[in-house]
Amino acid sequence: MSIIGVDRDLRAEVEQLLFLEARLADESRYEDWLALMTDDVQYWVPSGRADYDPDTRISFVNDNRSRLETRVRQLLTGVRYAQSPPSPMRRVISNLEIESTGADDMITAGTITAGSNFVLYELSAQATNELRIWAGRATHRIRRVDGELRIAAKRVELVNASQPLPTLAFLL
Amino acid sequence: MTRPMTGTEPRRQITNALDIADLVQPGRVNGLAYTDPAVFEAELDRIFVGGWVFVGHESEVPAAGDYVTRRLGLDPVIMVRDRGGEVHVMANRCSHRGVTLCQHASGNTGSFSCIFHGWTYGLDGRLRAVPQPGGMCSERDALGLHRPGQVESYRGFVFANASGDAGSLDEHLGPGGIELLDWACDLSPVGELQISAGWLGQRVSSNWKMWAESDLDGYHLGRLHASLWRAVPGSQYEAAVLAGEDVVTATTRDRGRGHVELEFWRGYDRQLAWLGVERGQVTDYCDALIARHGKDRAEELLWRGPPHALIFPNLFLGEMNLAIIDPLAPDLTVHRHTPLLLAGVAPEFNRRVLRQSEAAMGPAGFLLPDDATAAERMQIAFGHSGGWMDLSRGMERERVGARGDRVGHVSDEVTTRGFWRHWAERMALK
Repeated sequence: MSIIGVDRDLRAEVEQLLFLEARLADESRYEDWLALMTDDVQYWVPSGRADYDPDTRISFVNDNRSRLETRVRQLLTGVRYAQSPPSPMRRVISNLEIESTGADDMITAGTITAGSNFVLYELSAQATNELRIWAGRATHRIRRVDGELRIAAKRVELVNASQPLPTLAFLL
Repeated sequence: MTRPMTGTEPRRQITNALDIADLVQPGRVNGLAYTDPAVFEAELDRIFVGGWVFVGHESEVPAAGDYVTRRLGLDPVIMVRDRGGEVHVMANRCSHRGVTLCQHASGNTGSFSCIFHGWTYGLDGRLRAVPQPGGMCSERDALGLHRPGQVESYRGFVFANASGDAGSLDEHLGPGGIELLDWACDLSPVGELQISAGWLGQRVSSNWKMWAESDLDGYHLGRLHASLWRAVPGSQYEAAVLAGEDVVTATTRDRGRGHVELEFWRGYDRQLAWLGVERGQVTDYCDALIARHGKDRAEELLWRGPPHALIFPNLFLGEMNLAIIDPLAPDLTVHRHTPLLLAGVAPEFNRRVLRQSEAAMGPAGFLLPDDATAAERMQIAFGHSGGWMDLSRGMERERVGARGDRVGHVSDEVTTRGFWRHWAERMALK
């Protein structure tokens, strides 16, 4: 992924978006998190590397906006027992690489692709109270909507995506 | 009406000897059945080694050299298709020093070669090549990959019995089990499943039997899964299960031999509710089904959709999903599932099934995470000393139906009792 030509202001703006998204997810602020997504958002957590057609092979999550809203609605009921109480979580995001596609002036018109690594610590507070560690690389496709950067696609390749996973009822 | 709670209390002796027979009593089961390591060891011997277990579906390995890795209890096996088209189930274990041969969940290979010393086996399990063969003292033909004592398949469903003395697969399935497998396959206009979308595993800190139970429990849907019905109103389960004890017409069925079923379809309010579509959206499918089965059977299938049933001990026919329950330890289980894709249907049909499967099942699905939470809290609750569970719900209103099946209200614990009844029989066999 090339980082040539990405100016520092844009990089800082993308970083702020990813940090904000991470904090909202950490704090189970589902509606605020959803507000960062575009109307045509795709949210994909593949089962293994993201090198397959999700229409022919199963994924942990493969949500369009409608299903993502359902997911959030379910969490907001307060009786989604797999996230009630919500897991205390903190993510660390790093190794950000940015490239732009589709326009010369990416700040105003283009689509930005941002790759980043994350480590997520989750206390599974609903039953076992284990500290779980999740790790992987996220790829965000980011667009400017009404002046603000918004997430048009998020893909999360977990390090252990080929293996059985414990409950994953929160937003990655 | 209440029943006196009598009977021998199972007690851990100083020797840790536990009488397994005491754990299952009429209307109640002791939690030690989930937590005691000796019970787990006995289950591996008597159920997962001593009996038939589901391994995989032949359509998972369509081409020569295609393989998947599975377990018979804790013992790793490979299911592979050879160049002649035959499907084999063999130990995933080199006959030399016991290293696993396949590391991946699935793949395609021309042979199985051990990383340690390089012994190489054909797709039929025969030992083909040994480096530096001059020093070999054992008979090569006797060193092929170990095989379970019995391997049989029915309509592509491959089962194995490691011990070799579990009777026939026909006996294990019985007419009730055969009917369930036929029913699932008959949903395809060509009578065949296409299990090709891969499996998602969910790792849960609970005993495996909680999954055999909760997958077949019609009583918990309204409470444990309330968040889903609130988020997605209008599902087929509202009429079938959630409408109220006196209103719903869905039933539970114990088909014997541990094969148990939730008959949601009896409570559906229309055809194709199970697929979430109107007939006009799947006209080709309906026509093809009528062409294959005739009008009566096709219309019945369009109403019923797929079965919701357990084939004892480890295969869950979860409507448009297959699931395998893998016991790893008394308090550790992997529940894995794959969408029940059909051969002979349009790609959009299977895509819909795939999306529904992702919605319901797996660690991020809208249903199973809540089941995992309840199962993990059961495991915690039984601690060291166990304690009784009440499973008497519906004992006095269940009735005996065709073939000797026991049938009850959809919320009744007919299925759970049927599971435990067979479990107790199997565990009594030394």
